[in-house]
Amino acid sequence: MIGFKNAINKLAIPCFINDASQVEQLIYTPECKGNLSVYLHKTEVKQAKKVGILANISTLRSLIQLTSENQLNDIEKTVITINAQDEVVVFENMEKLEEYVQANFPEYTEEDKKLLEQLNNMTREQRWQYWTEQFSACIKCYACRAVCPMCYCSSCTVECNQPQWIKVSSETTGNLEWLTMRAMHLAGRCINCGECGRICPVGIPVHLLTAQMNLDIEKEFGAKTGFSCKSGYALNTFKPEDKEQFIQ
Amino acid sequence: MEIKNIKQTQIPAFFDQLIQSGKVVIAPVLKKSGKVFFEPVQSYNQVATDYIQTGFSAKSVVFPKVEVLFSFKKTEDGIEIQDSIANIPETIVWGLRPCDGSAFNYMTEFFLKENPDTYYAARKAKTTLIAISCAKADDACFCTSVGLNPGSTAGSDVLLTLMGEDVYVEVLTEKGKAAIGISASLFTNGNEKSKDDYLAKINTKFSLSEIEERIKTAYDRAEWKNESMGCFGCGACAFACPTCTCFDIQDEGTQNKGQRLRCWDACGFGQFTKHASGHNPKTNQTERRRQRLMHKFKYSVENLGIVSCVGCGRCIRVCPAHLNIFENILNVTK
Repeated sequence: MIGFKNAINKLAIPCFINDASQVEQLIYTPECKGNLSVYLHKTEVKQAKKVGILANISTLRSLIQLTSENQLNDIEKTVITINAQDEVVVFENMEKLEEYVQANFPEYTEEDKKLLEQLNNMTREQRWQYWTEQFSACIKCYACRAVCPMCYCSSCTVECNQPQWIKVSSETTGNLEWLTMRAMHLAGRCINCGECGRICPVGIPVHLLTAQMNLDIEKEFGAKTGFSCKSGYALNTFKPEDKEQFIQ
Repeated sequence: MEIKNIKQTQIPAFFDQLIQSGKVVIAPVLKKSGKVFFEPVQSYNQVATDYIQTGFSAKSVVFPKVEVLFSFKKTEDGIEIQDSIANIPETIVWGLRPCDGSAFNYMTEFFLKENPDTYYAARKAKTTLIAISCAKADDACFCTSVGLNPGSTAGSDVLLTLMGEDVYVEVLTEKGKAAIGISASLFTNGNEKSKDDYLAKINTKFSLSEIEERIKTAYDRAEWKNESMGCFGCGACAFACPTCTCFDIQDEGTQNKGQRLRCWDACGFGQFTKHASGHNPKTNQTERRRQRLMHKFKYSVENLGIVSCVGCGRCIRVCPAHLNIFENILNVTK
């Protein structure tokens, strides 16, 4: 069972329970912001016969998105959440989970809306300067990648050194290559949990890149991420009725 | 050791004279993100004063996150190599905490004991550490569990302790003397006295001698798995840590021109132990986290005689999963 437990400094840390006697440790408070679905990619979790997960809305959305990307088919899982009325909800199947998420679909936070508006009101040059300054602080600890449930590649482009696509050293150009590459890979797949921005040790609001792209993709293609298991991926799905002709 | 006093109101004048002396001064600065980081400053106005701990340590002053070891260039006559350590400036680190000061002692042992590292030696020789005792702490602080305290002098050149309107100044080394000498008239001679009333109170989390003894046989304990399950495998803890010294050597450039670099590396990364053959002896995060913790409390004791954790608590604050090193250590040595 994957959930949260209390930690020092009033924080909640991930908690892994193998024995019913330890269930008392579990908590579900506003501090439980982390996206636990990322642990479903862990070898130790995949090896477990059955997995239970106490999910917040971000985790639920990730489960939908991962299912739509065929990443969760082999895992027998029990998904539990606590609804707004403080009741325990156990999802019988993915359809019920989808229904719940669609009825409780989260908005962008006020803070993110404000930041995105500020960024969109900038000129291209100002925006470039803003991000260059932000990226120059990146130390390439790859925590943003590590906490992201959609970053599930077993081998990442940054780890490829023959040829080397992206510099290992952390300096502005290489950092920019890394963070834009990651954002592009997540365009229309990111489920807006905001974890990458929240946990960045140097405080880069890196989640805003994918948040903005999600808005653009929703506007252009009407596609929402972490919304439906069968939606497919807007950027690689072709339908005969699409207005673009280039693929025909 | 010499004891001096200075009025708190004179600190900005002292600081600005350090800058005017032509040295690079690195100090804690409050960033837009709300976090405090060390960076070069031009005036005391930029310096953060209300912080428990900086986001990262000051280790990058002597062990930069990316360091050019040398540059190379193909010429008609062969290959020209340019050394990079000629122009290292005199640097003062201001406002580091006593735990960080003691971390410099560990780094010096690590880099200089057996095969002296000329790059570290050159930077360390030009660095003066002016530390400030901790009047505040949070739940992540645990220096008192690893043999230090909020007023430890180990590793620092000068330690300032705020005592009401006065600042108690411990001048610990020749470098410290030289730094104080820049503004000698601002200081008066003082007498040794207890700092206890002005230091943060930090409860001990464990007995270090017991942990050191028990961890010797902890390698095969089943608890490592559960203690490491939350670990995502990023490098945040290692990069924030004042004593993590692992690095990766990279060549950047073309066949005709380029640089050899030393970059920070982290034992939490899956690739850290990957061999050229493709074999990786550490296949999972449990083994990687165990390596990190055993290094701090066992391997560095065996190799250098020092526990290489200074209890600064950064790894706990910075961990995306908020994993707690002292709880982990307690649980695997129970």
